[in-house]
Amino acid sequence: MSLSGLFDIGRSALFASQTGLYVTGHNIANVNTPGFNRQEVILETTTPVVTGAGFTGRGVRVAGIRRYFDRFIYNQIFFQSQKIGLTRTMSNIMTGIEETFNDLKGAGLSGALQEFYSAWQEVSSSPDLLPARNLLLAKADSFLRIAKEMEGAIKNTLNDIERQIRYSTEKINSLLKQIGDLNGKILQVESGLLSEKAKDLRDQREEALRRLSELIDISYYEEENGSVTVNHGTFALVERENVSMLSAPVKRDGRRGVFINGQDITDTIRQGELGGLLLSRRDIENYQLFGLRRLIGSVIKEINLQHRQGYGLDGTTGEDFFTPVKLYLDNYTQGAVASATITDMSQLTLDEYEITFTSGNYTVRSIQTANVVASGIYISGNPISFDGIEVTVTGSVLQNERIVISPLKNLIKEAEVAIIDPLKIAASSSGSTIPLDNLNALRIVNLFESSIPELGYSTFFEYYNELVSTTGIMSRNAQDSLKFEENLMAELTRQRDALSGVNLDEEAVNLIKYQRAFEAGARIIKVADELLETILNI
Amino acid sequence: MRISSMMIYEQIKKGLQNSLEELSRRNEELATGRRILKPSDDITSSSRALGYKVEISMKEQYLRNMATGDLQFEFTDNVLKSLSDALVELRKLTISGVNPQDEGARLFNSQQARLLRDHLYELSNSRHLGRFIFSGMRTDREAFVYNPLTYTYEYQGDSGEMGLPLNTNATVSINMPGSEVFSPVLRSGNPSVLSDGTSVTYTESKDPLTGVNTITIEIGDLMSAEHDVFTVTNIMDIANRLSYAWQYEDIDGSFIGETKAMHRIEALQSLIDDARTQVLEKQTELATRRQFLKGAEERTRNLLNTLKNTLSLSEDADLPEVAVEIQKAQTGLEALRISSIKLLSTSLLDFLK
Repeated sequence: MSLSGLFDIGRSALFASQTGLYVTGHNIANVNTPGFNRQEVILETTTPVVTGAGFTGRGVRVAGIRRYFDRFIYNQIFFQSQKIGLTRTMSNIMTGIEETFNDLKGAGLSGALQEFYSAWQEVSSSPDLLPARNLLLAKADSFLRIAKEMEGAIKNTLNDIERQIRYSTEKINSLLKQIGDLNGKILQVESGLLSEKAKDLRDQREEALRRLSELIDISYYEEENGSVTVNHGTFALVERENVSMLSAPVKRDGRRGVFINGQDITDTIRQGELGGLLLSRRDIENYQLFGLRRLIGSVIKEINLQHRQGYGLDGTTGEDFFTPVKLYLDNYTQGAVASATITDMSQLTLDEYEITFTSGNYTVRSIQTANVVASGIYISGNPISFDGIEVTVTGSVLQNERIVISPLKNLIKEAEVAIIDPLKIAASSSGSTIPLDNLNALRIVNLFESSIPELGYSTFFEYYNELVSTTGIMSRNAQDSLKFEENLMAELTRQRDALSGVNLDEEAVNLIKYQRAFEAGARIIKVADELLETILNI
Repeated sequence: MRISSMMIYEQIKKGLQNSLEELSRRNEELATGRRILKPSDDITSSSRALGYKVEISMKEQYLRNMATGDLQFEFTDNVLKSLSDALVELRKLTISGVNPQDEGARLFNSQQARLLRDHLYELSNSRHLGRFIFSGMRTDREAFVYNPLTYTYEYQGDSGEMGLPLNTNATVSINMPGSEVFSPVLRSGNPSVLSDGTSVTYTESKDPLTGVNTITIEIGDLMSAEHDVFTVTNIMDIANRLSYAWQYEDIDGSFIGETKAMHRIEALQSLIDDARTQVLEKQTELATRRQFLKGAEERTRNLLNTLKNTLSLSEDADLPEVAVEIQKAQTGLEALRISSIKLLSTSLLDFLK
């Protein structure tokens, strides 16, 4: 073995230590980088040579740089992120909605309803006194005002959700593009290399995938060539560098839908932020918005029905107290004209209905109960009657076309107190017993304490209490789910960090370790040089 | 387990966040005095609290109704007392034994009866909070008016009574129609002959709509020169007839003579007794209604107190406990900050020279 071999050993030591210092520096620099997996230099001895003394080592070489990454833990984090995205979104939205129904602070609909009820009581105890009547009109107005404010707050939340659906879709598209780009880069970098991986690019891609899974339910798998394919259900979102973008246009019913390649995938999204937005929208529309509208609709309907039976101080009768409930019609047919009227207010269930046309027949189904309330052969112009409603459809209808009839859609928005003159408040049961007759006012007072059929045989107060409780339960569930998922995520993150996270103290030790090794390698070269000089001076 | 720097940072962040959250929540409890700040804090309790609040509001409204009713009862009771006193005075006049020859005494009695008639008329049209209390449902009009064509007092009200709700199932009538108070009903004990042996008959007929009882008094035989028939429908009519009778006149001012006049005065005595009994009965009825109302009021107040206590237990914070919890949270936060500073401020990198 020649003396120059010592130089080679020294050089290899310098190179290995330098690489170690680079990797350590890289780890320290990325201590706070999300998704970064710490790296480590893998050193091995170079192939020894056979000398007279047997096998003699020739120094060290860098076999590779290891990336501490556990696919199993990563996949758990990946799927957990979808749940976190879902529960965090739902928790945020439901906590906000809960504030709208938070009557515990005092000024809510329950208080306004109580005051409205008390005002009717005052009229019943002093039906001949104008101050009591004026107070009633003011309290009725205040009741409607609070209902409008609540509906406004719910609608604002829903509008916000619509906006967020668009932003969320944009974020998803941006991440899909990023993943596609990273696929391309990884393919390029790793092309031709059998064992070496584009570690940092893969870290970036895995972090992008994790962030994507916070937004929408996806699955992924890695191709042999190193690229990943990302799917939502059966739809491929990313294949190599090719990306299918999502879009979120406003549909005919006024809500945003999520589309991919022209296909509506709204109902298939159940996880991630987007899933949370879509589920929250559905829940708020079905429970809070519908429940509030149904309550107000019921108060208006029942009080109007009774008020019409009574007599005002001026002898008038048959007057509505509030502007009456009316029908709103959404016609989703292409060629038919439809109109709807209320034929018997007392029969009105305050459900919403959908008329669908199939094979020349029509079916009327309650949207809330899914029960069929009427069906038959469709004849243009023939009235369709059900639950106190009569609908007339004229013209041709196509297969599966539909018409939606709602007594509630704009009810709160358009509701007003119809009585302006306090004398017209019908507190009396007869025109000949005015002014002290309070029987009709008492009957209206009794309405507040009676079970109302369209409210599932609850009183107005009980129904609202139930609505508040349901909102509280939904909010609590969302908060609890988020807490549970966050705890699980924290545990998974701990497991990941235990393996892949950077420890600065550890890196400091490595820094010293490689520095010392570098110094020692340099000393080898110096010693070799001195030895060579000694020989040369002989 | 291997610990990474990120794990330490995250743990400290989470610990600080939890402590601050707890402190903030306890502070809000202390500031509002309530344990439940939103329904999701405690769904069962918040739902109950909302239900209790509705119940409390209803009970408070019923108490307001009761106060209104009680005021009306008190006012009516005072009027009935005055009415009773006036009838006693009127009765005294009829038994004062006036010598028909003593014109001055007769005129004095006539004058007294007229004053009492006007007083009764005033009482019959008593108003409370702008409403005529004896007009039945027709409280916007006077209960009785004098008709100058018939020279009688006529009832303008009806027989309606207004029910005041005391709770979900009970009401109490707060008014008494004038027809029931001022229009006497015949009782057993009306004489069939007067002190001089002249026959007298009393017949009555009640108007079902107004409740007004018309009493017809027939004195003497049909063929007799002293035969007399007249009607009264209320105590003002009685007082009016008495006032004129002491002047030997009919209510239209026509002369009727001493005998007829004295017969009338005597025949009307028993009707005044009937009217007094009737007023007494109405006073008793009013007292019973008032007692019923007071009983309902007491029960409602007791229930209200229970509801308020239960509501307080459901939603109010235990303030001393909250104060202790705040102290605990503050101490915990302080300890966490100190340990975090120590943990974050030392690194092996600091020792590299």
